[in-house]
Amino acid sequence: MTDTKSTGPAPLDVRPVKRPVLQRLSLVWLVPILALAISLGAAWQSYTDRGTLITISFENAAGVTAGETVIKYRDVTVGTVETVEFAPGLGDVLVHARVDKTVAPYLDDDAQFWVVRPDVSVRGITGLDTVLSGVYIEGNWDSDADVAQYNFVGLETPILTRAGERGTRIVLRTKDGGSVSAGAPILHKGLEVGYLEAPELNFDGTEVIVSAFIQSPYDKRITSSTRFWDTSGFSLSFGASGVSLDVNSIASLIEGGIAFDTVVSGGTPIEDGQIFSIFYDEQTARDSLFSDPDAETLKVAVLFEESVSGLTVGSEVRFQGIRVGVVDAINAIIVGEGDSAQVRLQAVLAIEPVRLGMPEGSTTDDAAALLSDFVSRGLRARMVTGNILSGTLMVELVQVDDALPAIMALTTGPYPVIPTTESNISDVAATAEGVLARINALPVEELMNGAIDLMDSIERLANDDNTRAAPQSLVALLDESRALVASQDVQAVPKDLRGVINELNGIVSRVTELDLVGDIDTAVTTATQAANNIEEATRNLPEITANIEALTAKANALELDALVVSVNSTLASIDALIASDDTKDLPRSLGGALDEMRIFLAEVREGGAIENVNAALASANEAARAIEEAVAGLPELSARANGLVSQTQAVIESYGERSRFNAETLSTLRDIQSAADALTSLARTIQRNPSSLLTGR
Amino acid sequence: MITAREAGLVACQRCGQVHPQGTPVCVRCEGRLQSRDTQSIQRVWAWLIAGMIAYIPANIYPMLLTNTLVEHSESTIIGGAVDLAHHGSWGIAFIVFFASVVIPIGKFLAIIYLALSVQNRSISNPHGRHKAYELVEFIGRWSMIDVFVVAILSALVQLNTVATINPGIAAVSFAISVIFTMLSALSFDSRLIWDTDRT
Repeated sequence: MTDTKSTGPAPLDVRPVKRPVLQRLSLVWLVPILALAISLGAAWQSYTDRGTLITISFENAAGVTAGETVIKYRDVTVGTVETVEFAPGLGDVLVHARVDKTVAPYLDDDAQFWVVRPDVSVRGITGLDTVLSGVYIEGNWDSDADVAQYNFVGLETPILTRAGERGTRIVLRTKDGGSVSAGAPILHKGLEVGYLEAPELNFDGTEVIVSAFIQSPYDKRITSSTRFWDTSGFSLSFGASGVSLDVNSIASLIEGGIAFDTVVSGGTPIEDGQIFSIFYDEQTARDSLFSDPDAETLKVAVLFEESVSGLTVGSEVRFQGIRVGVVDAINAIIVGEGDSAQVRLQAVLAIEPVRLGMPEGSTTDDAAALLSDFVSRGLRARMVTGNILSGTLMVELVQVDDALPAIMALTTGPYPVIPTTESNISDVAATAEGVLARINALPVEELMNGAIDLMDSIERLANDDNTRAAPQSLVALLDESRALVASQDVQAVPKDLRGVINELNGIVSRVTELDLVGDIDTAVTTATQAANNIEEATRNLPEITANIEALTAKANALELDALVVSVNSTLASIDALIASDDTKDLPRSLGGALDEMRIFLAEVREGGAIENVNAALASANEAARAIEEAVAGLPELSARANGLVSQTQAVIESYGERSRFNAETLSTLRDIQSAADALTSLARTIQRNPSSLLTGR
Repeated sequence: MITAREAGLVACQRCGQVHPQGTPVCVRCEGRLQSRDTQSIQRVWAWLIAGMIAYIPANIYPMLLTNTLVEHSESTIIGGAVDLAHHGSWGIAFIVFFASVVIPIGKFLAIIYLALSVQNRSISNPHGRHKAYELVEFIGRWSMIDVFVVAILSALVQLNTVATINPGIAAVSFAISVIFTMLSALSFDSRLIWDTDRT
């Protein structure tokens, strides 16, 4: 027990118990694990969410930037461009983009992509937002997930119809693509209900086909009996109601436009892709409703020798007045060989068998056989004037009774040929030109001037106070004379004096009836004669003078008996003068002349014989000249009458102023003097303006 | 030089009071006493790895989301520095690059070096390692300079549609990375360097 050392407990190997690894691990390790988990989770997430890579090739990818340009579908961003590169050969630009996984399955072969850029057109401005934000790629595809595609060819221009739009797509075809352009509106009763897509040529290049989209619900208005027509630009027409200018919307003015209408009911509903023709105008479209525009037409040729100017493609072909087809083509062909070769103008007619009255379903061969039959019985083609104003022609098939026998060759040449007959073209231009030339050649100016002068002169004459005063004076004179005759003192005057008065009375009434003012209106030719007669009559005046002188001498002797006798004989002479047939005829022939003149003037006014007017004027001038000459004698006559009157007056004065008879006789003679004065002034007027007698008013 | 551990003492990490070894709690501040933090290295690695993980998205994802009227741009840290350099702002490009790339990566490397050297009980140049540790601690706070820039820009440039700047995912990641790295540096018990000196 001496081993004290052993008493104590042996030194223990004191070591801290190693705790299990798990217990020794710090909780802090959770942090990196968590971080790692989050990171990996995020990475996985972003990897799985990463869109599908697609490649779009563009010819021009202006503005497309890698990492920035987005792809939108119905204005929602569905992807982003990742890289932009050139295709091998630098032909195209390849745009690699990632689109959302949710969208990718729908990107089948109907998916379309285009770059949206600012676009200014007549229908508005689109894509303005891309000015600031840069371009983006817009995609369009339907909602059917088909076999997914990853390579696409981008469009150069935006499509117009979104896949999601409700409506009906139809196909229009036309011969002339000038009136259709992409985006042009389709109008129905003035409303824009759809639009055209880009037009393109059909497979054989003979027609332009354009696909069009009619929005719902307007597409229900389209049936198989709907007709489409061109409304582009404006239409100008004139008819009985005047000129009518018809302009549709500005957009259709510039871009063109198509309108449609369903005129008759009973059409069957259409399906997508139905094909319609575009008619030239609304009228044609409506007319076409009663015939099938797509029906097969019989092509026949007509060879014309004369010019076909005025005949155009589309000109009507009529058969006994009914439209049976149109001119399909016009060209020149050579007929014959060698020296006998001639150039003929060939019009190819497209004839619709149905319009010939043939039953539905008749073939063109049937129609050809029918026409051939007609031709053998005298059917001929000729050109006739379609529109007299525009000079357009149309082809008419007419029955010529005495036609030379001919047949329609059905087998030779590309088309059967219908023989022609003489064309019936009323060349309105030439005719009108001739008429105008003749009108132009007329001396209208001279005629007018002559007529105007004539009118002026007659008016002046008619308005002349002297002219008016002449009959009045005459009437007054005769009144006085009658009063004289009626007076008690003259009762005893011998009967021949009364006869004189009666004659005077007759003249008065005639003159009154004739209304000299009115008649002088138109006096002419016989005025000459009348004047001559007056002149002739005037020759008797010296005798009267002599008688009066004798009377004067007797009056001087203050022998009443002799005075009475002398006065008697004086008055007898006056009576003889007045009663002479010539004098009596004067008013009548004046009236006749005036009537003739009036008729003549009426004829002139009617313009029936313009050429005659000149001649008439010439003869009128001559007549006027004759009148002038004749009237030249009138002053002399007046002077003599004056002399007679003054002598008579002197006789009466010398007789004394005691009796009323004297006074009456004096006043009668004064009136005769004033009548003579009036005659003088008439003569002066006529002298001044001989032609004034010719006028009608 | 003798360490407290060799003298049988343990110092309070907070108030500096020295206790005999084995004392569980500081008599003055009642802080937990521990002669050596045995789990220090674990925590260092854990935070460091977390920080490095967070540093990856900080570089991949955009730091700044710039929206102007006409443009929308995203720039990563490196991308931003390269852009700046392209525009001739070499100085700023260098600062950005230095603060965002060189310093964080330098910190990672420094911490890895310290942790490995402690684990392997390396005896080489303990003084230098202390200096390195001090440097890491000091520089750590400046790593946030990038995050500050982003935060300030985002706060200042909010002009609705005209121009806005928003922090990207990278900004958050970067901030987290810096925080984790600082925690890593803090977790490092620098007294472990002394022990390796002795043995």
